[in-house]
Amino acid sequence: MITGRLNNGWVIWLSLVLALLLSIAPMPQSFALARPLWLGMFIAYWAIALPHRGGMGAAFFFGLMLDVLSGTLLGQNGLPLILVTFLVLSLQQRLRMFPLLQQSLVLLVILGLGELVHLWLNTLAGNRPPTLLFLVPVPVSALLWPWVFVALQWARRRFDVY
Amino acid sequence: MRLLVLAVLCVALMVVDARFETLKPLRSQMGLVLTPFYWLADLPVRTWQRVTEQLTSSTSLVAENEKLKAEALLMQRRLQKLAMLTEQNVRLRELLNSAALVDDKVIVSELIGLDPNPFTHRILIDKGERDGVFLGQPVLDASGLMGQVVEVMPYAARVLLLTDVTHSIPVQVNRNGLRAIAVGTGNPDYLELRHVAETADIKVGDLLVSSGLGQRFPSGYPVAQVTEVVRGSGQPFLIVKASPTAMLNRSRYLLLVFSDSRTPEERATAAAEAQESADREAAAQTIPVEEGQEPPAPATPPAGPNNSQPGAERQE
Repeated sequence: MITGRLNNGWVIWLSLVLALLLSIAPMPQSFALARPLWLGMFIAYWAIALPHRGGMGAAFFFGLMLDVLSGTLLGQNGLPLILVTFLVLSLQQRLRMFPLLQQSLVLLVILGLGELVHLWLNTLAGNRPPTLLFLVPVPVSALLWPWVFVALQWARRRFDVY
Repeated sequence: MRLLVLAVLCVALMVVDARFETLKPLRSQMGLVLTPFYWLADLPVRTWQRVTEQLTSSTSLVAENEKLKAEALLMQRRLQKLAMLTEQNVRLRELLNSAALVDDKVIVSELIGLDPNPFTHRILIDKGERDGVFLGQPVLDASGLMGQVVEVMPYAARVLLLTDVTHSIPVQVNRNGLRAIAVGTGNPDYLELRHVAETADIKVGDLLVSSGLGQRFPSGYPVAQVTEVVRGSGQPFLIVKASPTAMLNRSRYLLLVFSDSRTPEERATAAAEAQESADREAAAQTIPVEEGQEPPAPATPPAGPNNSQPGAERQE
């Protein structure tokens, strides 16, 4: 890919595609329950770092992609994702001032809200998870957040995305 | 504002997708574009497998070869017997005036992905619309039924496994023909039989085969083996658990079955015609073959759609 635009937007897209790949990558059965919400985390990072570039549109688009990939109703993953992005964007001014740990605490709540919406939609679509285990990805993602943040920040500085 | 618009859009999409058919082509096109994703996501696993394959020592290959040869020999023997049994079955069915057994056509496909959601049991296979896969097509592995196709994309298809909560399949006990419905539990290890009467003759170890009554699965394929029967539990019905015979979470190669979609009447007429012509042929050729029972199969299996077992031809 050639840097067509001056601000290296392709890095954002590439990272989101990577997140999409990670969220369908095969995992051992025992870890499948704890699959982190890669897409949510990556989009949240870009929303915190570059709020002026929007993010809602990207969240919607990648949510639909994930729906097609996982065979759910179109919008079933999209709606929680745009909700997460909206919350992150509206808290962005504060979030970017927070230390990493505090950020991951806030994200724990936001991603949890997203998962609850996802649960409602799943229930409406007819497959309700039997236990509360569907929430496991949220703390896992919150734990991973500092690493994701640092990695993406490195990528952003390295390729000078703004 | 943006949130509101996009959220409404999402909800609208969901409703339309759930209720109407209009989005199906769009989905299938997006699926086409996204199919390489599955391939890419599966790449590490595939590479690892290839590496381990390369590293398998020749001794273990030889051992495996030996084992497979022995297995093939056993299978051959059973096939010989099967030829005779099929023959007999056809004749008995003829006496009963019922439809003949039809051999199903199958194609082999490979698993390319699992559903990322751990609460649904669905897999992705590498055959799609272009290979003739259709909605509701039954899927098997070497040891039993696995599930059915629920979504078809141009080069891939999604298969709902027997153990998914939303799946159920009509079965019957192989021993005595008792009918029941096997419902997925969301647990990959067992299915449950619903509405089995307290007095029903069913016990641990019984093989459940598909009954074909739902008009979706072909009849006679093994589905599960009964592992637990709880009587007198205070529930109105028996609690019966059965473990699927197919290796739902291990099989990498699956068979897609093309059973014929004709109505039972059409099938019966076709079978009767085939029988008739076969009988005429048989009468024309082989009245003299009588002396001594030559080992397995009778000399001429009636030609027709019903006898395409390779074993039958090899006998002659």
